[in-house]
Amino acid sequence: MNCRKIVRRLSAFQDGELASSLERQIEMHLRECAACSRELAEMNRLRERLLRLPPPAADPYFPGRVMALLPGRPAAAQRLLRAAAWAALFIAVFLGGFLLKTSAGATDADGRHPAATFSSVLLEPQAFGLLAVHDDSLDLFNGGGHEQE
Amino acid sequence: MDDPRLTDDEVVTSVLGGRRQDFEVLVRRYSSRIVHFVARMTGDNDEARSIAQDVFLKIFVNLPYYRRENNFSAFIFRIARNMTLNWLKRRKRTVFFSRLLGHELDRLPPSQDPPSLSPMEQGEREQALTRQLRRLPVEQRLALVLKVYLEFSYKQIADVTGWSVPKIETLISRAKARLKKGIRLQESGNEPVVEAREK
Ligand SMILES: [Zn+2]
Repeated sequence: MNCRKIVRRLSAFQDGELASSLERQIEMHLRECAACSRELAEMNRLRERLLRLPPPAADPYFPGRVMALLPGRPAAAQRLLRAAAWAALFIAVFLGGFLLKTSAGATDADGRHPAATFSSVLLEPQAFGLLAVHDDSLDLFNGGGHEQE
Repeated sequence: MDDPRLTDDEVVTSVLGGRRQDFEVLVRRYSSRIVHFVARMTGDNDEARSIAQDVFLKIFVNLPYYRRENNFSAFIFRIARNMTLNWLKRRKRTVFFSRLLGHELDRLPPSQDPPSLSPMEQGEREQALTRQLRRLPVEQRLALVLKVYLEFSYKQIADVTGWSVPKIETLISRAKARLKKGIRLQESGNEPVVEAREK
């Protein structure tokens, strides 16, 4: 292997991420090549400097603050409740409309049943928008990060 | 309170079963790592604590979606990564508009904890390195921070980012090369000024 190829894999070598056969080849090369050894030494110095940066000071109140801010329950339960509430509302509206129709048979100016009109308003796409739970958490599961600064 | 014999998944099961106070176990297990991660990504310790707080709230809310495959760390670091990248994007926009309006909001130095007992000169070198880190392209920074500070393997980084292992190797290698160059320039007294715009 020539120096260019070695240098390209030197970072992964430092991170211990190479297959053992390749690792041995690089070790052998390093024993004989001063230039590549200097590269690695410089890389090791960089890592030491990065690791010497002090981490943020520990905040003993952090867990308590998070716990105090927790919402009532995790999302699925909340969503289930919300869905149940909407289902109840729909049942009430349609049942109400059905009862009105069977009992009175009253119609509005367009000849439509008032309760049916109300139901159709609820069924407008915009009204459905109210039901859509806004949550960007779903992108957690595709895992693909293409954010580029 | 934190029984170390309990795995993360067992604690999650307990929280989802109604013992929400057990969530604190997970917060205690991961908070310093999450704060550290966000701080290295943003270069701002105060912001990091505030973002990390939101990360844990989001983890709690999304807990029902966690698949409990003994990979809780990847799950929460995915959330931390998403929220941090969103924050960085928002900050970039704010800086852009503040420049447009002639304000210089971005000139305020990001907050650092009071310097440790190190001598003045070392503090300056640390600040310079933090600055270099912040100037790395965000994908390079993300991969490097997970490798160096969280000691993730390339495979674990892949689980958090969705990138391939070869891509991660390239990103980390480029990040190191860039930092080495930056340090060389800085030590020769020629720290690049142009790049500071990216902040
Ligand atoms: Zn060589």
